[in-house]
Amino acid sequence: MNVVDGVKAAALLFLAAIMQVSIFAQVHILGGVPDVLLVMLVAVALLRGAIVGAAGGFFAGLLVDTASLGRLGLTSLVLTIAGYWIGRYGETTGRDRAHAPFLSVAVVTILYSFGLLLVHFVLGDRAPAGAMLRGLLPAIALNLILTAPVYALVRRLLRPFDRSDLSTEVQLLG
Amino acid sequence: MAPPNRTARVAVLGSSVQRSRSSKHAAGRARSAVVRRLVLALLVLGALALLTISFRSPTSGALHNVQGTGASILRPFQVAAERVARPFRDAYGYVAGLADAKSENAKLKREVRELRAQSTQNLAAANLAASLQKLMNYETGPTYPKDYRAVNTSVISFPSGPFAQQIAIAAGSDSGIGINTPVVSADGLVGRVTNVSHTTAVVTLITDPDSAVAAQDLTTGVSGLIAHGPGSTLILDQVSKEKLVQKGDVIVTKGTRDRRYPDLYPYGIPIGRVLSAGPSDIASFLTVQVAPYASLDSLDSVAALVATKRASKLP
Repeated sequence: MNVVDGVKAAALLFLAAIMQVSIFAQVHILGGVPDVLLVMLVAVALLRGAIVGAAGGFFAGLLVDTASLGRLGLTSLVLTIAGYWIGRYGETTGRDRAHAPFLSVAVVTILYSFGLLLVHFVLGDRAPAGAMLRGLLPAIALNLILTAPVYALVRRLLRPFDRSDLSTEVQLLG
Repeated sequence: MAPPNRTARVAVLGSSVQRSRSSKHAAGRARSAVVRRLVLALLVLGALALLTISFRSPTSGALHNVQGTGASILRPFQVAAERVARPFRDAYGYVAGLADAKSENAKLKREVRELRAQSTQNLAAANLAASLQKLMNYETGPTYPKDYRAVNTSVISFPSGPFAQQIAIAAGSDSGIGINTPVVSADGLVGRVTNVSHTTAVVTLITDPDSAVAAQDLTTGVSGLIAHGPGSTLILDQVSKEKLVQKGDVIVTKGTRDRRYPDLYPYGIPIGRVLSAGPSDIASFLTVQVAPYASLDSLDSVAALVATKRASKLP
């Protein structure tokens, strides 16, 4: 990944974090809240791998926690792991698969929600599992709607690597 | 069955694809895997360190100051994003409002007629109360809204999901806002400030489970504690079963002063209207459900109430 790509990815995540905190957090549809930052992170991680995914998740989470004067590190922790995991999926089994962004967004939305629930629970904060579960399906649907345009935008700005550049550490046979 | 000289690991991971490549390439891959795991470990450790520090000192300390500065830097971007989104939100609100505009108009007209009659009576009572207070040299603490300066400010971030019942506002200690400053909207009580930096502050909403507001029924004078209720409603808790609370009663802040539980809110801030009230077989108190006046999930701007009169200290 070159510097220009890094700047582009950082700008995209910055924009998504600001939009999430200022606009999307207020959009409640059937109890679900769309998460444009999560979708953007998934797109960046799928196209640029685990290290960029983890670093992007860390700094995007830091931005969210700073902008909302929330507990620093909380969102970073969950997004770092989410970015890394999706990055690995993109580097290995998810490469060149059209359904990869949609599958990743759906799975990560679930894991991210449970991750946040777990961290809040461990910290002794309010952890309303019922409210989270009620809003989960609408949130997945809303995130899936966002996936196509966001992934198309990110793919346009961050061109996918050639196959030869990608990691081949894990490759399924058959 | 795999032959005896092959392992399951080889069959699954497919390293045979790489057998023809040089060992240098394999070493490079191994190195990149180590780097990748190292980066992840460092970032997770960094996040945990930040989490620990901010958990231990959420409202003060060097990290809090850095966060406050960061929030100030990010504020113009948030305000810009909010301004870009506002026309779309307004358009949505306009279209959504059209659906029930006719019935709402009739309801509001009826309410205006009732309130006009009530207002005349209240004005007379208020004048009488003021003159009696003057005659008796009656001392009071800061009264709302007379002894409070409203710091009007925009909301720059909203509760993200079910975990946080907090909003961030675009005014902080530079405007006189401090911890526990009451925050209201044009409709009613919103919450109180629980974290503040120079130019921004975090407001914990009255729907937060940790929030408790001493409140009073304006019609019957019954007192209780406003707490988080089912969905987006509130409950008036700690009301004895023999007390009378009726549907439609207006609930306001009580503004009591107690040494152990000092009330953070001045008397008379409207909180909401009673949706339902009744005894329950299993509860020792009345079950009173209250609908908040303030639309807590769609706040654009709020006012932080900074006291201009010093509150008298309890002995």
